[in-house]
Amino acid sequence: MGEFKVHRVRFFDYMPTAIRAMAFNAHTERLALARMDGSVEIFNFTDHYFQEKVIPGKDSRSTESLCWVGGRLFSAGLNGEITEYDLENLRPKYSLEAYGGPIWTIISNTQGTQLAIGCEDGTVKLFEVLEEHIQFERNLDRQKGRIISLSWHPSGTHIAAGMMDMIRVFDVPTGHAVQRLLVDRGFGGSKSQETVVWSVAFLSDHTVVSGDSAGKVQVWDGHTGTLVKTHLVTKWDVLALSVSKDESSVVAGTSEGTVIQFQFIAPTLHQQQDKEWVRTRTFKNHTHDVRALAEIETAIVSGGMDTHLVVRPLLEKFDEKSHASGLRKIHFPHRNLVSCAKKAGLLLFQFPGQLELWRLGDSDGHGENHTHTHTHGLTLTFSSPGSRQPIHLMTTSVDGKWLAAANSDCEIRVYNLQKLKLHCIVPVYGSCPSAMGIHPTTNNMTVVHADQQLFEYSIVEKQYTDWSRKLQKQGLHNVWLDRDTPVTHVTFNPKNPNQVVLHDMHMFCIIDQSLPLPDQKTQFYNQMTLRSLSEQERPSHLHAFKICKTFQDLLCVSLLDDQSLVVVERPLLAITSQLPAPVRQKKFAT
Amino acid sequence: MHKMLVEKEVQPHRRSGLMTYRPKMAKKLLRKSPSSSNKFNSANMTDDFQLHLDSSDDDAPEEVTFEESKASALRSMKNALETSKREKDLLKEKRRKRQELFQEQKKRRLLPAHILEEIDTAPAKKQKLPGDQAESNHEEASCSWEEGREGSKEGYEKETKKGFKGNIRSLKGNYSVMRVADQSSTNSQQQTAMDFIQARLYGPGSQRTTNNELLSLENKRGPNKSAAMQFVNKKWGTEKKAKAEKLKKQWIQKQKVPSS
Repeated sequence: MGEFKVHRVRFFDYMPTAIRAMAFNAHTERLALARMDGSVEIFNFTDHYFQEKVIPGKDSRSTESLCWVGGRLFSAGLNGEITEYDLENLRPKYSLEAYGGPIWTIISNTQGTQLAIGCEDGTVKLFEVLEEHIQFERNLDRQKGRIISLSWHPSGTHIAAGMMDMIRVFDVPTGHAVQRLLVDRGFGGSKSQETVVWSVAFLSDHTVVSGDSAGKVQVWDGHTGTLVKTHLVTKWDVLALSVSKDESSVVAGTSEGTVIQFQFIAPTLHQQQDKEWVRTRTFKNHTHDVRALAEIETAIVSGGMDTHLVVRPLLEKFDEKSHASGLRKIHFPHRNLVSCAKKAGLLLFQFPGQLELWRLGDSDGHGENHTHTHTHGLTLTFSSPGSRQPIHLMTTSVDGKWLAAANSDCEIRVYNLQKLKLHCIVPVYGSCPSAMGIHPTTNNMTVVHADQQLFEYSIVEKQYTDWSRKLQKQGLHNVWLDRDTPVTHVTFNPKNPNQVVLHDMHMFCIIDQSLPLPDQKTQFYNQMTLRSLSEQERPSHLHAFKICKTFQDLLCVSLLDDQSLVVVERPLLAITSQLPAPVRQKKFAT
Repeated sequence: MHKMLVEKEVQPHRRSGLMTYRPKMAKKLLRKSPSSSNKFNSANMTDDFQLHLDSSDDDAPEEVTFEESKASALRSMKNALETSKREKDLLKEKRRKRQELFQEQKKRRLLPAHILEEIDTAPAKKQKLPGDQAESNHEEASCSWEEGREGSKEGYEKETKKGFKGNIRSLKGNYSVMRVADQSSTNSQQQTAMDFIQARLYGPGSQRTTNNELLSLENKRGPNKSAAMQFVNKKWGTEKKAKAEKLKKQWIQKQKVPSS
């Protein structure tokens, strides 16, 4: 691989925002995520959890809740407005003021015809979902406290509303409150504080499951209004609940960072006992509060104040332990936030509201801040005829002749910048491209997809290169395909035209096209063994993929013209140190 | 009437430098009051005033004619009216100046007029294009300009000039220009709701700790026991460390001084 001088950059203060709400669309298999800064992200769960779309937002929207109706995405927030998003142009389509004060929650009925919102002033407002917009229908009976959470009965006839110290069940056609379920307050000091019912779930057999601020998950009978079972799961709040589609499992997220699963099973196997809600599993994948939860068919998705998205597949749904059944944590966005000017030695960092330009220093490794500009973020989204999906990835060739653009439909189009017209369309591959780069001399475009497949396409000849065909025939090594973070940046070595440099969050790799490709049996991470071998033995063990894992939590790896390596790291520990306060847990012997 | 005038004169006005403090006048009046009050048969005040006067003289009080005292009373009343009028005028001046200042600041914050004009005319031309027109009250337009600070204004102007050179007219897309700063920020209801959540999750009784402690506990209980995060990570707690250093130096100094 050779020796490189490394510029190890740690002054990129990238700070992700906490996750506030999520909603899963089972038909399109997309997860929508709302963050505290008002941005909305869409993840494609069929394509290796790739972050397909990001709609930027602003703080004042304070999104509290998200909801899918068919293919349409709605959000409601503390600014009192319901917003519908245009997922093709990546912007809000319109915002409707609900005139009920801050909105705490938004839900839709199973038929997809109505939306209900819970407002600060104690009203549950119903909206009719029409073709291009929504329209206010009516209010249900106004209550004295604020409505924090809502859940619609699958038949659409009743709505359960979680308020302060109680849960109310409404009959939707008449609008009257038919049941009142009183929630106990906590013990000791918290008796003076009202219990907030943060989340409710209404099941088809009229069972209401609620999670409240006293740390209890309670199961109620919705017909009679009586408490069936109480589970005290935590000393702090239970902030989120989610029900599985077949209603056999309910998951609860707490302030401690734990996710607790309850299943509707018979507690003992002996006789034909009645089923009841039993606490089964506890997952501790978060360090801070879990505020958003979704239970999908094969996994539990959770997110909260520690800003990363965790997908925990349920092992009973998988026949064998495979790559798909492993825990996935998504920390960084699936796009490149750092640009490197190779000749000048400059780095450009992308923040949500500003850009920072830094100059790389000398051997002492400090970078000087060249300009600290607070410019606007200009986002132009334009799509070519044929596809209406937004473009999320673009790259240009070094000679300025070609521009390649990839959109969320996995199409890659190459444009001729001198003639200003479309040159060719790369054959569509099933997975979304996550990184593209055009070689400075040969003008071959290297594309890496979300499922870790690698292609090299010759722009001039309008076909895949021989090396790419060879690679596809051989197949990529299993270790390469099993990586769980996508490659976000492809660059090239100015001095060696055979080398391609790419990286994901945990490693960077130099692919040498002049070396033989590894087959399934060769040792993939072989850099350490190569070092121990003698000079004569080495050539027989070399293969094209040279991987280095010295640097972690990578945001960008690039090669400068003077053969020095720039590595931009953002240690996860540094991010954790700036998060809001976690709960104080007393551990034995500390 | 005398008494009222006396009180008015005694208070020094801080705002207007025109008003002079006239203790002599006051004293003069005070001195005069016993005689005049004698004349008008209001003997109550005389005793109090007598005590405060530096009347070392056991002579008889001065003779003051009625006309004189009337003239002085009228004079003082006129002065009082004049000063109040002057005060009002001064206040008006001040308010006017403040208003002007605000106008100026507002003008400064707006984009330079010619840029606004260009922006206004450009969307007007686009009206003629067929196709759907996005409503300009979208919260995020596809092209939004954030208000620049004073320093970056020149760079901002350069950018707009470059941008308006010609290619922007050829864009088919719809765009609307709006300043993010103009959008209404959180209103009081929203702020109350946010405070409610903040109080419930992070307020008193929520038993929270610091990230430092969380990570330090992990260090302590992990397979390789190591120090607390604030010591391991040099960048943390720099203020605390600096303060500790200073205190240490001070203590050493203190130790040295008594011994030497």
